[in-house]
Amino acid sequence: MIDVPTALALLQYGDSAYPAGGFAFSWGIEGLIADGLLDGRQDLDDFVWEQLSSRWNSMDRPLMARAYRAGDITALAAVDRTIEGATPSRPMREGSRRAGRALLGVSARNGGALSLSYRAVLADDTCGGHLPVAQAVVYRDAGLELPSAELVSGWTMVNGLVSAAVRLGSVGHLEAQRCLETARSGLAELLAEPVAADAEPWSFTPLIDIAVSRVRCRATRLFTT
Amino acid sequence: MIEAGKTSATATAARLPAARVGIGGPVGSGKTALVERLIPALAARGVDLAVITNDLVTAEDAERIRRSGLIDPARVSAVEAGACPHTVIREDPTLNIEAADELERRFPGVELILLESGGDNLASTFSRDLTDFWMFVIDVGGGGDIPRKRGPGVVRCDLLVINKTDLAPHVGVDLELMHAQALAVRDGRPVLLTNCRSGEGIDAVVAMLESQVLFRA
Repeated sequence: MIDVPTALALLQYGDSAYPAGGFAFSWGIEGLIADGLLDGRQDLDDFVWEQLSSRWNSMDRPLMARAYRAGDITALAAVDRTIEGATPSRPMREGSRRAGRALLGVSARNGGALSLSYRAVLADDTCGGHLPVAQAVVYRDAGLELPSAELVSGWTMVNGLVSAAVRLGSVGHLEAQRCLETARSGLAELLAEPVAADAEPWSFTPLIDIAVSRVRCRATRLFTT
Repeated sequence: MIEAGKTSATATAARLPAARVGIGGPVGSGKTALVERLIPALAARGVDLAVITNDLVTAEDAERIRRSGLIDPARVSAVEAGACPHTVIREDPTLNIEAADELERRFPGVELILLESGGDNLASTFSRDLTDFWMFVIDVGGGGDIPRKRGPGVVRCDLLVINKTDLAPHVGVDLELMHAQALAVRDGRPVLLTNCRSGEGIDAVVAMLESQVLFRA
């Protein structure tokens, strides 16, 4: 059972208004809509579930957990290198780093001790600062236990995706709430199953990867990814 | 568990951070044209500069400035606004802050970073955590009644710029009245008139940045 202070912290860190730049990332939604491959609520439900089940739960989540358990800065940096090496799409890597560094920057400016330390290391490391590592660092600074950190991580991803779809006109604001309800059930199902400490990360979202990778081919775009 | 270490306070304190100046305003009011005038004028005064643009749907403004020949293209960064031109400068300016930090890391001597907002309406304002000073650009072609509408951008900016003054007689705007009303809604705080095409009025904007932002005599 989550106590009230933790619940309030989850509301703060999981709020779409939390200022970490998440609004600028669509993680493939913009590209799929532009190519006519995502249209309406059912497509969005499918997209969100694919992101949750075949990327977040199998890659971001175990790597965030690994970073959360890291014993020192060197171990944190090793998780960052794993993500860098395991993400073949350049726009995806860059997006993950930009999102992670933005989150880390907010926490560091608000005095998060570990965030400050790791951000200082990243000043000379152009390959680090990926979102799962940044989330582990920031949520540790916030005093969240790992299960709570996983919950916020999954929810902010869902919330960001649905919000991007609304701004791109794929779903209306009411349909978006129904999408969030569907995604909530899926996320709860995934969170009910703990990730093994030695879980090997993997992802398989080929259509999304291609959509994100094509972002630079587009003359007009609103989102970073 | 990791123990948080100390950051390099000595290195951070060794140099002053660059001043950050926001430039907001409606689409087509002349924000990019103003940046293009400010770059050479500030450079001529020895100011070490960098620029960030927040294009709404393209990187057109960033590319225009990069290709202008006025500034090293590496000193121009573009930040996407995710369909939220207000958000990226006000509610959640973190991506702009990171971009500015990155420019400072890459160009340690930079003194001033201009942040051009994506074109928006009269309600956009800059976060005080993002900028030290911000100006709002409107133009006479948008209508002489813009100041009277008291948009937060017009009222709250540190400097209001009324651009395209040369068009006033052609669009039926009484420039003197527009200027007076702008001063009135701003309680007398600065309002400057420019024609960015000819360069008229740019020296006054630069002088204000030098005195109010860079603290040069």
